[in-house]
Amino acid sequence: MNEGFLGTAAPRYADVVVLLEIGMGVALLIGAALARMRWLRLHAWCQSVIIVLNLVAIVLIMVPSFHVHVSPKIPLKIGMAYYALATAHGALGSVMEVAGLYILLCAGTNVLPRKFRVSEYKPWMRSLLVLWWLVLLLGLATYARWNVPDLFRR
Amino acid sequence: MVRFSTRSRARAFLTAVILGAVLASPVRAADMEVTINNFTFTPKELTVKAGATIVFRNRDDIPHSVVGTKGEFHSKALDTGDSFSFTFAKAGSYAYSCGLHPQMQGRIVVTP
Repeated sequence: MNEGFLGTAAPRYADVVVLLEIGMGVALLIGAALARMRWLRLHAWCQSVIIVLNLVAIVLIMVPSFHVHVSPKIPLKIGMAYYALATAHGALGSVMEVAGLYILLCAGTNVLPRKFRVSEYKPWMRSLLVLWWLVLLLGLATYARWNVPDLFRR
Repeated sequence: MVRFSTRSRARAFLTAVILGAVLASPVRAADMEVTINNFTFTPKELTVKAGATIVFRNRDDIPHSVVGTKGEFHSKALDTGDSFSFTFAKAGSYAYSCGLHPQMQGRIVVTP
């Protein structure tokens, strides 16, 4: 059926997404290392593919799931850990994805007028990498809270 | 001879009416309950007569739902303490699972 394969109670699509997101987080670190080694073209490709792939995962899987399971319960039940975690992950993740797309457009294309582009990429990119991992950890916590029996329980 | 005031008579009449209404109401059989706790439906399999109403009550500390495998019934996500009732009118075997956690499965067997 639709059962997962990581040994938790999660459905298969959640297991796929969690592995994909961990893979993307690691790939972003590798992409950052590529920049330090001055392999800038490879760095640009690596980070761009991840930003776009993450957008696909958000639009196709995370937004529909959030819409069905979480948004009907907020703000009324935001005090419950499983809704609070999912909401924080969703909100910060949205900010992160928009910021990632913005940097991608600034650094990799001429779509945005010059006055709307940042000139110093490094602080933006480093901040975004930290934010990405924060969102990833929130996502892992959300996955665990929703799908792992006997975790965080009295 | 004891004389009752109009007020006392009215109170006695009202009490009698309420008591009569309560006693005359049909006795409803207790609904059967399936409990959801620690990612498990308990009992996993339940046999009932056709027409029985089953209450699925979530006593776990995360949301669950109840979904008939063939789409016969479908609850919304049930938070802790929430419940969902369904009346099984026809005889048959009804497999169901949690919509959020597909490995949580149960079965209701309905006899004629």
